[in-house]
Amino acid sequence: MNQRKPPENGYQSRIRTNVIRLFYWNGAWAAATLLMALGPKFLWNKALVLTLLTIGLDLAVGVGMILANKKYVMELDELQRKVFLNALAITVGVGLIASPPLSVLDAYHVIHFHANLGLLIILMSLTFLVSLLYGTWRYR
Amino acid sequence: MKNRLKVLRAERNWTQAQLADALDVSRQTVNAIETGKFDPSLPLAFRAARLFDLHIEEIFHDPALDQDGSNLATEIKKDTHV
Repeated sequence: MNQRKPPENGYQSRIRTNVIRLFYWNGAWAAATLLMALGPKFLWNKALVLTLLTIGLDLAVGVGMILANKKYVMELDELQRKVFLNALAITVGVGLIASPPLSVLDAYHVIHFHANLGLLIILMSLTFLVSLLYGTWRYR
Repeated sequence: MKNRLKVLRAERNWTQAQLADALDVSRQTVNAIETGKFDPSLPLAFRAARLFDLHIEEIFHDPALDQDGSNLATEIKKDTHV
């Protein structure tokens, strides 16, 4: 019986590094978005130059986050990538089919809250999280 | 697709984590392949074959071929003799 150890190459450590990188980029993007949204009103009294600068910063950090996300997905193994892509497909679908009914419900005052973009982002985030957890559980 | 990955791993006393590391995939992927929930891609199947020093068909095989394979082989033989 062959009891030699198989060669190691650190898939887990590579993915861990990518997750940490993604976490920092997501945090930076959330902070930049917050600054862009609240800064004009609370920090610099709607000064146009500063507002434009924070918009530029938000977009630049956003591009960094997208690239970090892309790197993370590309380095996942084939099953993890399949789970991720399935979750992404469900999220895009839910976002697409939920938007028109939400705006109609809002327009005719059927719902008692304003159906804005933030609500759609929350819905899509939750859908992605649940789909990802379901996919991970399914292949566990 | 059926496979002998679990048997081959057990013969070598490897854990799923060790095999996953050697194949450059997650432990979840090794488990999903072993339990038949997920079929690996051709490159991953080749990596497994290289690791165990076997041919791919010695590790992975199509259950449908087990039932019809012999008939198919006979038909091919007949065709080549005609």
